[in-house]
Amino acid sequence: MKKKILSILLACSMVASLAACDGGDGGEDTGDVSAVQESKAEEAKKAGADFENGKFKETKKIVVEIYDRGNDGGSDPENNDYTEYIKKGMLEDHNVEVTFKKVPRWTEVDEINNLLAAGTAPDVCVTYSYPTIQTYANMGGVIDLAPYVEQYKNDLPNLWNWLGDTNINWDKDPKTGNLWCVEAKLAVSNRVLTFVRQDWLDKLNMKAPTTKAEFEKMLVAFKDNASTLLGADADKMVPYSVSYDVGWRAATLIESFLDPKMSDKEFYVNGFDDRKLTENGTKEGVRLLNKWYNMGLMWNDFAQYGSGDTTEDDMMKAGFVGAFTHNWDYPYRNGDDSINANLQRNVGANAKFVAIDPFEDKNGTHTKFVSGPIDRKVFFPATNTEPLASLLYLDWISAPEHIQYLQIGEEGVTHTVTSDGAIAIQPATGNAIMNSGMNIDYTITVNGLKLTSEELTNKSRALNYPGIPAEDVMNSHKIANTDLRVGKNVNVGAIEAEEGVGDTLSQKRDIAYDKAVVASTADFDKVWDEELKNYLSAGGQAIIDERTKKWEEFFGSSDMLP
Amino acid sequence: MAGKEKKVKLQGAVRKVDKKVYLKRYWQLYALLALPLIYLLVFKYIPMIYVQIAFKKYMLNKSVWAMPLAKKNGFEYYIKAFNDRDFINALRNTLLLNLKDLIFGFPAPIIFALILNELPFKGFKKVVQTIAYMPHFLSWVIIGSLSLQLFAQNTGMVNMLIKNLGGESIPFIAESSHWVRNYIGWGIWQSFGWNSIVYLAAIAGISPDLYEAASMDGAGRFQKMWHITLPGLKPTIVVLLIMNLGYIMGGGMERPMAMYNNLVMDKADVIATYVYRVGIKGLQFSLTTAVGLFQSVIGVILILGANFISRKLGERGIW
Repeated sequence: MKKKILSILLACSMVASLAACDGGDGGEDTGDVSAVQESKAEEAKKAGADFENGKFKETKKIVVEIYDRGNDGGSDPENNDYTEYIKKGMLEDHNVEVTFKKVPRWTEVDEINNLLAAGTAPDVCVTYSYPTIQTYANMGGVIDLAPYVEQYKNDLPNLWNWLGDTNINWDKDPKTGNLWCVEAKLAVSNRVLTFVRQDWLDKLNMKAPTTKAEFEKMLVAFKDNASTLLGADADKMVPYSVSYDVGWRAATLIESFLDPKMSDKEFYVNGFDDRKLTENGTKEGVRLLNKWYNMGLMWNDFAQYGSGDTTEDDMMKAGFVGAFTHNWDYPYRNGDDSINANLQRNVGANAKFVAIDPFEDKNGTHTKFVSGPIDRKVFFPATNTEPLASLLYLDWISAPEHIQYLQIGEEGVTHTVTSDGAIAIQPATGNAIMNSGMNIDYTITVNGLKLTSEELTNKSRALNYPGIPAEDVMNSHKIANTDLRVGKNVNVGAIEAEEGVGDTLSQKRDIAYDKAVVASTADFDKVWDEELKNYLSAGGQAIIDERTKKWEEFFGSSDMLP
Repeated sequence: MAGKEKKVKLQGAVRKVDKKVYLKRYWQLYALLALPLIYLLVFKYIPMIYVQIAFKKYMLNKSVWAMPLAKKNGFEYYIKAFNDRDFINALRNTLLLNLKDLIFGFPAPIIFALILNELPFKGFKKVVQTIAYMPHFLSWVIIGSLSLQLFAQNTGMVNMLIKNLGGESIPFIAESSHWVRNYIGWGIWQSFGWNSIVYLAAIAGISPDLYEAASMDGAGRFQKMWHITLPGLKPTIVVLLIMNLGYIMGGGMERPMAMYNNLVMDKADVIATYVYRVGIKGLQFSLTTAVGLFQSVIGVILILGANFISRKLGERGIW
């Protein structure tokens, strides 16, 4: 009897599961999203009717992508003080119910690809790669924002105020008028800097280097004095450290070999990749790295550790690294767990990394190339049935007071106010923990500190890193802004050759950099030329050619932007 | 399906039971069989509907039936793949790595089973066996980091040892051909114990009478091994060899992915990682489905071919 019941049960569950599968699959097969898209235009009108004085009569629901950084002891990215703040505000101000969907930070593109293909992507998506969005758009997966941002301009005052025509229409196709995404704005254009161990310089009675030659001399001194500086750990000494991503992690060095006055055209044509692999001069920068590598001045194993590996950070924290190049605030990030805080615990009170600017270009200046005031790109997938509500969301998080709250949190919990009115960030606990510095993951239209007044921002910048002396931060900020060359918008429409090749080319680029750095001195030219050829033949050359053609189509024979 | 027919035949032969009565009596067993069949249907056959995107231009907003045919009569992506140096490189690497795996990895469990079989102490044998199984349960991610910890050029333990003994560090994972050896080695390390189970089971099935008779005739250990154990294992070896030949174009993604680095991509990039990078990350679903289909077709041809040859040589095949 028991056996019979059991088998009936089993059979039933099978039938049920089969039915469920069939249902799900059938829906996917027959569900034609284009039909949804057509009806969407009508819905938008309906939404307009349902919409009065910035508020919907009926509650609308939207889902917003949020990066999950998987921080140890962080707060739940979908559910913390800041998500509550946004949810409450959006419901009160616009009658829109917001839910967050977390996406792993380091594999976000893969994840969004899958969600889009499955038709379950969040209504508001964000990514760093425009070609990716362009690819989605060509597959019919993205909403054209152009009509919406214009039609509802008056309902989106904060968005237009903050991003302006420049960032909203940055990617508007000059021919078709399509707008697949809006560009977030960089409040601070600080990019990459070089850091050095101040206490090692002091110990060896050296001054901070101001030229490449002095920098090299310093690295040699670190190596020669390893036993003075590290004692028993002398063999772990790494005078200069980079990671597999050489183009980023030696950016200031490489850029010092480029022509500071290079034409806009040259910069644009080679600008698909911000690691500058194909720029004139890059090779000589890598040759210098190769020389240092062969002199034993660099971390030998850098290319063997992949993305997200913490080995290098751990070496910095343990005090084995003399100098490195990285994001302008890298050693100050993460409060108690910052590199400098760890150094002080592990090595001594005076151990710290400070920013220097040692790589002079051919004019003796220290030109740093930045790509323009743009940052992440926000787009709405075709499955988004509430584009207006989603735009109102972007508007809401672009309001100055909301940005400020999200960046600095609650007084007494995440920050204190100093006697002169500046905001000083302090480490928080529980649901008030910001998983990313200044909640950059929630303020998707801003990157960089932006408080309600410029004066307050400047006063507070230095106090934004708990435990780090204000003068260290200001020093970094100052160097990061020395001799900036800000890129301009070259809007010539979609470059077809860029679609779908981003990851392949990024990897080829890294391989080219890595292999050239570790090559023997005699083989350097051969390896570099071969790997560069590899990169170009895998699609790099096609991009350069198409960009050149498009440039000439729009700007003729002029080398500079109008 | 084959099992069902066989069962019916068997039952019919033994007891001449009417089909109806038979089904009535055993329907529960078939109900149980339904579960794996449904699994196959849902996860292996229904997804095959999407194989057609190999010949179509993939669209996010269209059903798979409504997507437009790709250029060049649907063969656009095949032409593109074979013009892509990365794909050719991945294809070559897949074949080479799998072939080396087969050459060096295939005999390892057989040898291990033979050695283990010669051990007189049961307890010791069991311990050795268990220890040898264990790496099978480690994921490749863990093995990859083990490999890094041990063999990194500067910070790896083995190289530190070599340097402290006065030698030169060896680029085990930083140079392509060393890396390949390292890769094959970890593969053998991970799987020889586990794969030996089948052979040990087959050895256990050989009649002890044969060994006794051989001993009477004065055969030594190696002679027994050569003339009794190995021939006894032959059918098993052949079946496994055929199955392995089918995998020679395949292979998982985790192992190369967890072990490769930028310096060795020329020999480490295989079809699986190529598909992941270009298809999933680069959103070229059509291109990579085409590659995947190509890979499967070759795999089927290889299996059929191996099976055919084995039957021609007088061995039992899989079919």
